[in-house]
Amino acid sequence: MSKHRDDANLPMSGVKPVADDVRRELEFHLHERARELEASGMGAEQAMTEARAQFGDRKSVEEACEVIETRRRGTKRRAERFSALRQDVMVGLRVLRKSPGFTVAAITMLALGIGANSAVFSIVNRVLLQPLPYEHSNRLVTVVERHEKGGWGNLPWANFLDIKSQSRSFDAIAMYGSGDATVLGTSSPLRVRTGNVSSDFFKVLGTRPYKGRFPSEDEHKPGAVPVAVVSYAFWRDHLGSPASLDGVRIKVDENFNVIGVTPPGFEFPDGNQIWTPLEVSKPGMSRTSHNWETLALLKDGINPLTAQKDIDGVLARLAPQYAPDFDAVGSTVQTLQETLNGSFRTPLYLLLGASGLVLLAACVNLASAMLARGTARSGEFTVRFALGATRGRVVQQLVTESAMLAVAGCVAGLLLAAVILRLIGVLAPESLHIETIHVDYGVQIFALVVAVVTTLVFGLFPAFRLSAVNVSLALREGSRGTSGTKRMRVWNMLVATEVALAVVLLSSSALLVKSFGKVMQQKLGIDAESVMTARIDLPEVNYGGQSPTVAAFHERLFERLRTQPGISSVGMVNRLPLSGANPSGSLLVEGKPLDPRGAFNAYAVYRVVGGDYFAALGIPLLKGRTFHTGDRVEDAPTVIVDETFARSEWPKQDPLGKRVKVAGMDGGEEPWYTVIGVVGDVRPTSATGRFIATYYFDHRTRPPYRSRSVSYAIRSKIGAAAVAALLRREVTAIDAQVPVEIQSLSDIVSRSSSARRFPMLLIGAFALVALVMAIVGIYAVVSYAVTQRTREIGVRLALGATPVAVRSMVLGSAMRAVIPGLIVGAILSMASASLLRNMLYGVSPFDPTALVAGVALLAVAAFGSSLLPAIRATRVDPLLAMRTE
Amino acid sequence: MTDTRLRLLKGTFDVLILKTLTWGPAHGYAISRWIANTSRNDLKIEEGALYPALRRLEERGWIESAWQTTDTGREARVYTLTETGRRGTQTEIVAWERYVSAFARVLETRPDGAIA
Repeated sequence: MSKHRDDANLPMSGVKPVADDVRRELEFHLHERARELEASGMGAEQAMTEARAQFGDRKSVEEACEVIETRRRGTKRRAERFSALRQDVMVGLRVLRKSPGFTVAAITMLALGIGANSAVFSIVNRVLLQPLPYEHSNRLVTVVERHEKGGWGNLPWANFLDIKSQSRSFDAIAMYGSGDATVLGTSSPLRVRTGNVSSDFFKVLGTRPYKGRFPSEDEHKPGAVPVAVVSYAFWRDHLGSPASLDGVRIKVDENFNVIGVTPPGFEFPDGNQIWTPLEVSKPGMSRTSHNWETLALLKDGINPLTAQKDIDGVLARLAPQYAPDFDAVGSTVQTLQETLNGSFRTPLYLLLGASGLVLLAACVNLASAMLARGTARSGEFTVRFALGATRGRVVQQLVTESAMLAVAGCVAGLLLAAVILRLIGVLAPESLHIETIHVDYGVQIFALVVAVVTTLVFGLFPAFRLSAVNVSLALREGSRGTSGTKRMRVWNMLVATEVALAVVLLSSSALLVKSFGKVMQQKLGIDAESVMTARIDLPEVNYGGQSPTVAAFHERLFERLRTQPGISSVGMVNRLPLSGANPSGSLLVEGKPLDPRGAFNAYAVYRVVGGDYFAALGIPLLKGRTFHTGDRVEDAPTVIVDETFARSEWPKQDPLGKRVKVAGMDGGEEPWYTVIGVVGDVRPTSATGRFIATYYFDHRTRPPYRSRSVSYAIRSKIGAAAVAALLRREVTAIDAQVPVEIQSLSDIVSRSSSARRFPMLLIGAFALVALVMAIVGIYAVVSYAVTQRTREIGVRLALGATPVAVRSMVLGSAMRAVIPGLIVGAILSMASASLLRNMLYGVSPFDPTALVAGVALLAVAAFGSSLLPAIRATRVDPLLAMRTE
Repeated sequence: MTDTRLRLLKGTFDVLILKTLTWGPAHGYAISRWIANTSRNDLKIEEGALYPALRRLEERGWIESAWQTTDTGREARVYTLTETGRRGTQTEIVAWERYVSAFARVLETRPDGAIA
């Protein structure tokens, strides 16, 4: 209301337009000069001419003055605006400090809403929306073969070569395989992820060397000098960032010349550090061995489906030529993005929806808080209007206050988002790589916009409404402000919205919890309690080829561990169940007709085991016996099958004594294996995955490389740390160059269900936040309504109303808002439940108990949160109440 | 008729304007007359040059202006020295006097011998 603020916009006496101001000043000078000259005896006309002459170039003086004056006024205006803003901020700070409860609540609500959303959106953005970090990432596809009965597998090398030469859909196509290998030569034996890649691998991904070069066509030929490309991180951390790669070598299973370094961050497919040409190892030409994955770059304008038809055509031509050594019935081509992240789409979008509902609830709460505050301050505004403040000034003050809240809420929200992101990182499946995701720039802008819009809309609402009322009327109404039924209707709607949102979130999370409970009840087929596992990888350098040292190593380690006190059983397996890898292949069951396509008639998961594997994992032996140290492995190899295998291959027959043969898995002539035992089924992928027929080899009957990289399982009572120490000691005693990685079996089991657990926990957390917001919101609105009606309640009490009547009046009006919210929430829950269908296990999306639980919980919470203000209402002193005027 | 008046050194005009205003608020024409009269017309100043100089001083915050009605009943833009301007003027005058006396010393001092 001070003067200087107005003169920036309003013409006031004394402030002339620039040109006018300058012209009149100069005219005054000329006029005065001429008058003086006239007084000394000059003629009027001559005096004016003389005055002009003495003045000089009037035009340029005028221009110079105008430029300076315009600039000066601009500077002055900006300075004044800034000082007005500063004043508003100071007033705003004072106002916010005076009501810390409101301020903290508003900022907390904004922070929760924005934090949840920013965290989830950052993940969605990185995982689902942003292109993968490769050139032409939208044209990158993966290719797999389809097999009978909905099965699928990688392309065999021979098929890949034919597709590469005959298909017309790709700019480049490559194969790659990944595995862990021990690299020697650095300070300690290093376990790193390595890849065998075919020529064109880097071309498909559009990668260029950071240093050196990628392998040439010649280096991608069988028998070529072994060369390797290493990652930037490996080059920096383990090679010491050499400027020149001349003479740099690493030793994996043989010596490799390092010829190139990939750019920082390139670790395709999964944290790989070393890539070597795949062709050097002379890949076999079997058309039923599915060893490597295929990645291709589509030609511009070709879509995955067209490419798939193209490949299907090639496979259809190959099939009659190569049968029976051929099991592909078609192909599947899909984008790399879909292959990597497709399975996260539903849970992530659900989380985004849930966090959106939380934000909405936060906005609703904030809105009602701002409205309540606006009403409480109506006296202040009325006085300011009466004293001559313009609507503009009051709006400006409110905008500043709202913006301050928005910025504070936004900052707190983004900090919270970082925390939530870390939390999700702990819960989420590793393949999401949450640890590499940060709250991104776009998200921060999004958050700020949300915060500002919410606070502004509801912060300004009172200003517009108030400035419309007749000031003198408002003044006469005094501190009561302008309460009314119309206002209560707005609030009731806000409360109902909040209740509905909370019902949707609570019933959804109830569904997920119920489903997860069902998942947990599923029998895994193993007993993970007090079992430690250890990854043991025998370096190819010392345990390569067909040497018997691998089996000897394992037998020695079994012997040493078995005799330790406190250890009940020790076993070994090539790939643990539930750990994400289930090697499988076709086989021949004796006495059954051959599959028309080849020398096989069955397909099953196989595991290569040693020691007391079944006892260590708690897999029950149902029939026959397990492997013995004394088995004649050379001339009478034996095998153990699981229940599913036995049931599907030999229904109603005794499986013991039956014989099976591996179909072309490891090359060479395969012997018949005799079934000596039947064990219980084990879930191969997760608690909800189906059982797959599985058979078990004695590791001594398979080529050594099948058991070079294995997991040990040790059942003991001595605790994780003791087992780990014992294992390290015993392994080192046999061979100090063997790395060991320890993990408890229950960790592996729990990780196998993390894809289900993490959306459940997060949606549960969001539901809890929404519930708290609803409780706070209802409490605040009811309390406020009670304060507004203090006088009315006082009158009622004075006229003899009982406390019970007053209480039920207050509760009744609260429930009038809550009940429609519950109904709308229930309807919305049912409408949105089908979105959850894919994530539920053993529970219908329309499960009534979940919905009832959600509605009931909220009804109780709503009742509870309005009870307190209702009780307070009856404590009103009638006399005092009427005097509050 | 040749003009024998002195050309004003760059930057010195401001000092004259400011000094004039130390005697009290004045409009442009009055300032112009005061400088002409007290210098006995010895300084060659185009009257128009005064106005941009005044606006610049105002922009710097050394002087303020306001439209006022003069004795003759016309509206004139009257300039007043601000507190900043008053302090600035002192500094400027001191600097100018040092300049003049340094100049004078060089012009008036005679060497005892050759200064090679």
